[in-house]
Amino acid sequence: MDDPVADLITKCAAADRNAFRQLYRVTSAKLMGVLLRMLGERAEAEDALQEVYTRVWLRAGRYDPAKGRGMTWLIAIARNLAIDRLRARPEATSDDGLDTVQDSAPRAETRLVAQGEARRMADCFATLDPDKADAVRGAYLNGLSYLDLAARHAVPLNTMRTWLRRSLLKLKECLEQ
Amino acid sequence: MTDAPLTPREAEDALAAEFVLGVLDAAERAEVAARIKRDAAFAARVTDWEERLGGLNDGFDAAPAPNLLPKIEARLFPRPAPTRRFGVFGWLSGGLVAASLALVSITILAPPQPDPVATLATADNRLAYQVTHFGGSLQVTRVAGVAAVPGQVHELWVIAPGASPVSLGLLQDRPLVVSYPVPPAGVVLAVSIEPEGGSPTGAPTGPVILTAEIGQDA
Repeated sequence: MDDPVADLITKCAAADRNAFRQLYRVTSAKLMGVLLRMLGERAEAEDALQEVYTRVWLRAGRYDPAKGRGMTWLIAIARNLAIDRLRARPEATSDDGLDTVQDSAPRAETRLVAQGEARRMADCFATLDPDKADAVRGAYLNGLSYLDLAARHAVPLNTMRTWLRRSLLKLKECLEQ
Repeated sequence: MTDAPLTPREAEDALAAEFVLGVLDAAERAEVAARIKRDAAFAARVTDWEERLGGLNDGFDAAPAPNLLPKIEARLFPRPAPTRRFGVFGWLSGGLVAASLALVSITILAPPQPDPVATLATADNRLAYQVTHFGGSLQVTRVAGVAAVPGQVHELWVIAPGASPVSLGLLQDRPLVVSYPVPPAGVVLAVSIEPEGGSPTGAPTGPVILTAEIGQDA
């Protein structure tokens, strides 16, 4: 499959600095969007963005184009860093994201309908209880923890965990059909 | 839900999914991260989930990013050993006037586990930070003295020869860990005092209290 981002990452693994610059130009807006959404503050998102690209360069050799698309790999690095930072924050600050979750969740879903593969994701999400689908999206897009989700849905943490684990496995089953 | 408990295999898969989703707390997350490093089969499950949940990535809107490439490149590709070292110290000298009595001891040692990189310390050792390199990260730990007074913070900078200082982060009670290659000889590490939350400008604004230059034989 044609994946120019994957090609650029592969070149970075061969220490091609021009490819690295090109990769930044092509992908930084998307990664900035990820970090801004999850971290909520521009200054922190910019700081995190520097760290993300530092990691991208240093880890490019571990990227395997056979296992996934380049952009997915980059977003995984950005999300991981954002989540590490969120979990290192003192508790309670991540409640800030709640309003955004509610605003943006339906919009994310509408967008999903646009493309074939994303459409399957949307179809599979539709097989989950709306509450649980909402929890999975809130965690993925806004970096909510079990603690945040339990508070938001007013259920004990263990209940939330059971719900979510079941929902994830159900999602997998649906996606693999 | 009151279904039967998950099978061990399902539980494994659910744990990988929880890690990718990011819902675990810091301690659980660290445990799973360690497992990913030593258990290739589990790491593969994690990669599968990254790909699977990647279907949600369209939910992230792009946002204009400033051109941070110069800063990123300064972190990744510090220039090789200096012929223009005076430039660096020229820049530092203003901030250093106050600290000139407290200049620097630098330690460069051979590699055991975490490789020592440098020690940033006042002459009397009342304030000291130790910098080591381990697993692709620099770790900076305060080994003497106390944090900045309330309302202020110590900020760590890296200065490649001829380049502007780049912040590596804030030095607080926990060790600072930042993904960074081993700094080559000629690179200067510096600590300045900044307002709480760090320098508002992206460059040092307060006095530079500690510096160390990475040695030529590093």
